[in-house]
Amino acid sequence: MDTTIEVSGLHKRFGQTPAVDGLSFTARPGHVTGFVGPNGAGKSTTMRMLVGLDLPDSGHAHIGGRPYRALRTPLYEVGALLDAGAIHPNRRGRDHLLWLAHSHGLSARRVDELLELVGLASAGRRRAGGYSLGMRQRLGIATALLGDPPVLLLDEPVNGLDPEGIRWIRGLLRSLAAEGRTVLISSHLMSELEDSADHLVVVGRGRLVAETGVAELLAAASGNRVAVRTEARVQAIAVLTGEGAAVAATGRDTLTVTDLPAERVIALLTTHTIPFSEVSAHRATLEEAYMELTRDSTEFHAAGDSALAHHPGED
Amino acid sequence: MSTTETTASPHPQPTGYTSPLSRGRDGFRQLLHAEWTKLRTVRRWSLTLLGAVLATILASLLSAQGNQTSGGEDTIAVSADGTTVRDNFRFVHQSLTGDGSVTVRVAGIVPAPGRNADRPPILSPWTKAGLIAKASTVPGTGYAAIMLTPGHGVRFQHDFTGDTAGSSAGTAAPRWLRLTRTGALLTGYESTDGATWHKVGSAKPAGLSDTIEVGMFTTSPEAVTMNRSFSSTEVNGELGMATATFDHYTADGRVTGTLRPDDVRRAASSPNGPFPGMPSNTSTADNGTYTITAAGDIAPLEPDMDPVQQGLRGTMTGLIPLAALGVLFITAEFRRGMILTTFTASPRRGRVLAAKAVVLGAVTFVAGLLAALVSFGITRGILRGNGFKPPMFPEARWSDGSVLRALVGTGVLMALVTVCALAVGTLLRNTAAGIAVVVVVMVLPQILISGLPLGAARFLVQSTPMAGFSIQNTTHRVPQVDNVCLPEEGCYTYGPYAGLGVLAAYTAVLLALAVWQLRRRKV
Repeated sequence: MDTTIEVSGLHKRFGQTPAVDGLSFTARPGHVTGFVGPNGAGKSTTMRMLVGLDLPDSGHAHIGGRPYRALRTPLYEVGALLDAGAIHPNRRGRDHLLWLAHSHGLSARRVDELLELVGLASAGRRRAGGYSLGMRQRLGIATALLGDPPVLLLDEPVNGLDPEGIRWIRGLLRSLAAEGRTVLISSHLMSELEDSADHLVVVGRGRLVAETGVAELLAAASGNRVAVRTEARVQAIAVLTGEGAAVAATGRDTLTVTDLPAERVIALLTTHTIPFSEVSAHRATLEEAYMELTRDSTEFHAAGDSALAHHPGED
Repeated sequence: MSTTETTASPHPQPTGYTSPLSRGRDGFRQLLHAEWTKLRTVRRWSLTLLGAVLATILASLLSAQGNQTSGGEDTIAVSADGTTVRDNFRFVHQSLTGDGSVTVRVAGIVPAPGRNADRPPILSPWTKAGLIAKASTVPGTGYAAIMLTPGHGVRFQHDFTGDTAGSSAGTAAPRWLRLTRTGALLTGYESTDGATWHKVGSAKPAGLSDTIEVGMFTTSPEAVTMNRSFSSTEVNGELGMATATFDHYTADGRVTGTLRPDDVRRAASSPNGPFPGMPSNTSTADNGTYTITAAGDIAPLEPDMDPVQQGLRGTMTGLIPLAALGVLFITAEFRRGMILTTFTASPRRGRVLAAKAVVLGAVTFVAGLLAALVSFGITRGILRGNGFKPPMFPEARWSDGSVLRALVGTGVLMALVTVCALAVGTLLRNTAAGIAVVVVVMVLPQILISGLPLGAARFLVQSTPMAGFSIQNTTHRVPQVDNVCLPEEGCYTYGPYAGLGVLAAYTAVLLALAVWQLRRRKV
């Protein structure tokens, strides 16, 4: 069975505001695909269209070549976590899973398995109104996994989890993908995807910004930059710029050198007997790479343009 | 499931994941199971259901305790088939053995001064004057009669419930009437001139022996007048005495004895007339003219109140928490966004609402039936003690078809109102607004009807969802009796199923609208 998520030419507007504006990407089985973009980029709208809650104005959002609404037993095909807060506060966590299980003829035993898996075995007996955000996320992940589906769509699943929870979910997502499942997780924080996503779909203003592997993205963002730590900053700058490199002082005793390989830097510094304690190839963080990608498409900058379009139904 | 901590495989399987989980089904039965689980796992909702049952019982109990009735007993008779009847009239009669016939001309019917001499006398449209053949002068025995009425023309009636209309002649011109006996069959005729006769109807009255009593009769029921102004209704049942003039009386067949006047009435009632305090009178002129004055009626007795219905008066109280539950069953999902989970698990939204309606309807039917059974069980004795007892109010038994209909119907009524509330909640998506709308639609007509003109009040009761309350009615009304049918007292001018049908139609339309809107509107 094909379990690829395929979004193609997807458009959706609410009133005059385009929420998703010609988005296309693919999420494949066996991968954790990170779906990243700032708030209002159209991630949640895309997720909603993937599970049939909204219909696209044009284009399609298919899972295994079919629209979600064509699925007759959706919980066995696609597990979705859209809003962890979407639980009745007077219902016990276990009962929330129970009605969902009953809608597909699943047993209470399956519910207890899931509660065990997400670490809510004892909390499941309490009313969901008293749950922390982290516990709600765990319950939401349990609802997504209830039918043991080959496709998982998780909207901001890391939100609200404590460090232990973040570590747990990263491991869980990796193992789910390792079993051959298609895992799509959205986040507005690239750092949350570090160590879990191996494929990235970056969106901004409803459009695709980049679709790339995490490894390639990091390599590109790192560029051919070299970090130098030296006490003799002034001399080092003079020597290195004399060889045609662009040099930036990034700290009291650190420099970033562009357009000059690390071996040449070491050779030059040694030749001119300039003392240095460290020369290393620069490794960009995923966050840095992401900031670079989305610099132009971020809708909500730090200040000033917060009056920009508000997307209904977003985040 | 094997989702413990493992490291990501560098070579993902290209075929994707196949679950070892054995799959259940996503049929409508599963959907019902899911909705039932939702309903029973919010404790507050279970308590609301219980509260609705208890509120119904308690309110019925309190209402029954304050509900007293009295009187009218000495004028009541029971017919051969057990119907409670009025059988009070002035009878100028003789005996007839075997076949034969009697003929008379009714020259006129006029109102006679009644008990209140200061008020102008009123003639009831159902004043009856004509010929009657009766097993005996004992009230309740079988009879057949041909008569002229001021408001309903010529009628052939028998054994209290049988009623056949003849011509719509008024009392302006004299009318000839004839009653013929052939074996067990009695046939009534009318004529304008005493020469050309038209058959009106025929019947075989119960319990006629070979010798029966035949002759002229007059009786006149209450003339009901009503004054409605906001917040009060003044009903006057004016005992309309009537005087009828007969002439050209002839009898054929083996007639024995001369014509003699008698009041057909229960022995215990007033000594000088068929109706208490209403003296009857008969005078005979030399030219064969008989003038008969009397008050009373020959008709089924229709109690103003229905004790079964009175015993279920807490239904409205119980409906309020149920309406809230119906609204909440869907708006709670909208409020928390849980509807997203519901529709993700079951993308066919119409089926989800249908499942909700079935579960809620079934549960509230059981709750309503339970409340009705207990209410009826405990109020029966109380109401009996408060004067709702035979013969005026026949004993209501569990096994009576009309009682069962009222009890089961109360369950259906409660289920339909709750499902209506569910549909309103779906359309409005707001708990407070939904509950307010449903409660106002339920309660407002109850407040308004007593202040509106009778026609408008009846229209309101018939055309709002509250028409469904008619299912609690167990009295059988016949058209040949005028009664004070006030909607605010639970009297309905249409049948029990018709009213429930109105409510069912509202439910169906609201549900259809809700499904239509649910499919289109963003959640």
